[in-house]
Amino acid sequence: MAWVEVPGQEKVLKPLLNTVIILGLIKCANFSPQAPAYHLILEGILILWIVRLLFSKTYKLQERSDLTEKEKEDLIEEWQPEPLVPPVSKDHPSMNYDIVSGPPSHNIVVNGKQCINFASFNFLGLLDNERVKQKALASLKKYGVGTCGPRGFYGTFDVHLELEDRLAKFMRTEEAIIYSYGFATIASAIPAYSKRGDIVFVDEAACFSIQKGLQASRSFIKYFKHNDMEDLERLLKEQEIEDQKNPRKARVTRRFVVVEGLYINTADVCPLPALVKLKYKYKVRIFLEESMSFGVLGEHGRGVTEHFGVNIDDIDLISANMENAVASIGGFCCGRSFVIDHQRLSGQGYCFSASLPPMLAAAAIEALNIMEEDPDIFSVLREKCEQVHKALQGTPGMKVLGESYAPALHLQLESSSGSRETDVRMLRRIVDYCLEKQIALTLARYLDKEERFLPPPSIRVVVTVEQTKEDIDRAASCIREAALSILK
Amino acid sequence: MTLIPVLTVPLVWTLTNVIHNLVMYLFLHTVKGTPFETPDQGKARLLTHWEQMDYGIQFTSSRKFLTISPIVLYILASFYTKYDATHFLVNTGSLLSVLLPKLPQFHGVRIFGINRY
Repeated sequence: MAWVEVPGQEKVLKPLLNTVIILGLIKCANFSPQAPAYHLILEGILILWIVRLLFSKTYKLQERSDLTEKEKEDLIEEWQPEPLVPPVSKDHPSMNYDIVSGPPSHNIVVNGKQCINFASFNFLGLLDNERVKQKALASLKKYGVGTCGPRGFYGTFDVHLELEDRLAKFMRTEEAIIYSYGFATIASAIPAYSKRGDIVFVDEAACFSIQKGLQASRSFIKYFKHNDMEDLERLLKEQEIEDQKNPRKARVTRRFVVVEGLYINTADVCPLPALVKLKYKYKVRIFLEESMSFGVLGEHGRGVTEHFGVNIDDIDLISANMENAVASIGGFCCGRSFVIDHQRLSGQGYCFSASLPPMLAAAAIEALNIMEEDPDIFSVLREKCEQVHKALQGTPGMKVLGESYAPALHLQLESSSGSRETDVRMLRRIVDYCLEKQIALTLARYLDKEERFLPPPSIRVVVTVEQTKEDIDRAASCIREAALSILK
Repeated sequence: MTLIPVLTVPLVWTLTNVIHNLVMYLFLHTVKGTPFETPDQGKARLLTHWEQMDYGIQFTSSRKFLTISPIVLYILASFYTKYDATHFLVNTGSLLSVLLPKLPQFHGVRIFGINRY
C-alpha cells in the first residue's frame, strides 16, 4: 500500500511514553498475586498495543498505485505540456468580434454603423427608458457606484432590501434573494440544496449556468430528453424501483427537477402543469429557471407560472436573472421563506461576492414599477413576437425554432452541411449581410468544448417592444434576401 | 460516594469505564455528518466523527490520544475491581466495543448495514 507520511507527531511521543512507563511501574509495584493469568496476558497485549500505537506513523488511506518508481519516471519524462493558449486560425469567430459604441438600445451602433437592434435581450425596451435612467442617476449620486463588500459585510443597502421585497410581492411569493451576477444565480442556488448523493433530473437543453451549478453540486445528474415528459417519467420510475430496493438510502436522498421556463437554447416553453403532476406523484422538488420568461410571459409578466395558471407555491424555487427584460444586472431567486432563507448562508454567490451596485438595484426597482403600472406592454410584446415569428416563416433554407410568443427565436439551417464550422461560417455571412443592411443580428454563442449537449448553430432574433412593423418587415425581408443569396 | 453502600469501589470503577466507553462510542462512532453546513458539498454526510477526524488520516496525535485513553481507564478499572470475573467481562466487552471501530481496517465499515445511511 502506498502510505503518505504526514509530518511530525513525534513531540507527543515522549510525554505519552513516560506516562505509560510510570503506569507500568505502578502496576508492578502493586502487583497482586490474585491477578489471573489470562488477565495479565491481556494487559500485556494492551501495553504492547499502546507502545505500537505511539510509534506508528501517520498515513492517509489511499488506493494502490501499481506503477513502479521507474515507470513513474518514464511517464514524467515523456510528458509534453500542452500550450497554455492553443493555436487558433485567424478567422476564428472569437477573434473577430463586433464592437458596439454607445448603448445597445433600439438603435445600436455596431462597428461604426447604425443598425436596428435585433440582438440584445432588451425585451421591454427598459434599457433606454428615461425614468429608469433618472432613478439610476439619483441613486448614483446618493450611494456612489459600487458596494465594496458582500451582503454580510456592510454590503446590504436599503435598496437591496427594497428590491427583494418588491420582487417577492411582484411574484407573489414569501421571500426573494438578490444575486449580483445573473450567471451566478442559478449556479449558486442549485449547489446550496443539492449535495453529494442527491439526484437531479435536468432537461437536455438546460443553459450553461445550470450545467455549471449541477457540476458544482456533485450530485447524480440524470438528463431527460428536451420537453419529453415520458422520458422524465421513465427516469423517475426507474429511480422509484431503486428506492424500493433500498428504502433507508432513499430516505436520505433528495430529488430535484431543474427546468427552464423559456429555454434560451431552443426558445420553447416547458410543460409546467404536467411537471407539477409528476412532482406530486414521484415526490421531487422543482427548480424553475425563468431568465427568459420573467417579464415576458403571463398577463402581468410574472413568468411561466402565470402563463399556465399554475399555483406559485407548487414551484419550490424560481430563479431568474434581471439582465434580460428588467434591463438591470444580477439575478434573484424567489420562493417560500424557509427555502430562500437557506441561501443567505449557503448561496456561494450571495455570501462571497460583492452585492449588487445600488444604482442597478434602483434601476431594477423602477423597471418593476413600470412593469406594474403598465401591464399592456406584455401583450404588445406578445403581438410583436407573433408578427416576427410569422414574418420569418418560409425563409429559404432556414427553419424558425421557438414558440410563437417567445421573444428570442432561433434561425437554424434547414440542412446542415455536415461540419459545424462551415455552418457557423455560412450563418456568419448572413449576419454580416444583414449588418451591411443595418439590421443587427447575432449568432448564438456557446463554449463548444464545455457544453454538455451542444445545440446546432443558429442565428438568434430578438423581439423588443420598441421595434415597429416597418422594422420587423425590413428585417424579415433582409434575412430572406441574405438566405437566398448565400444559401442557394 | 463510599457512604452509599450500593456504590462500592469496584462497581464505581466499572461504571466509570462503561459510561465513558458508551458515551465515546455514541459521539465518535454513531452520530454521522456535521451539525452545521460545510463547504464540501456533503462529503462527510455518511461519515462518523472518528472517520472525519483529521480528514481520514490515520494515527494522528488526536487519534492516538483517544485510542489510548480508554485503554488506560480499563487498566485502572481492572486494578480497582481486583480482577473479578464478572467485572472483567463487562469491562473487556466495553473496551473492545470502543477499540475496534478505531482500527484503520474499520474505516467506513458498517456491519450488517447498521448506521449506513
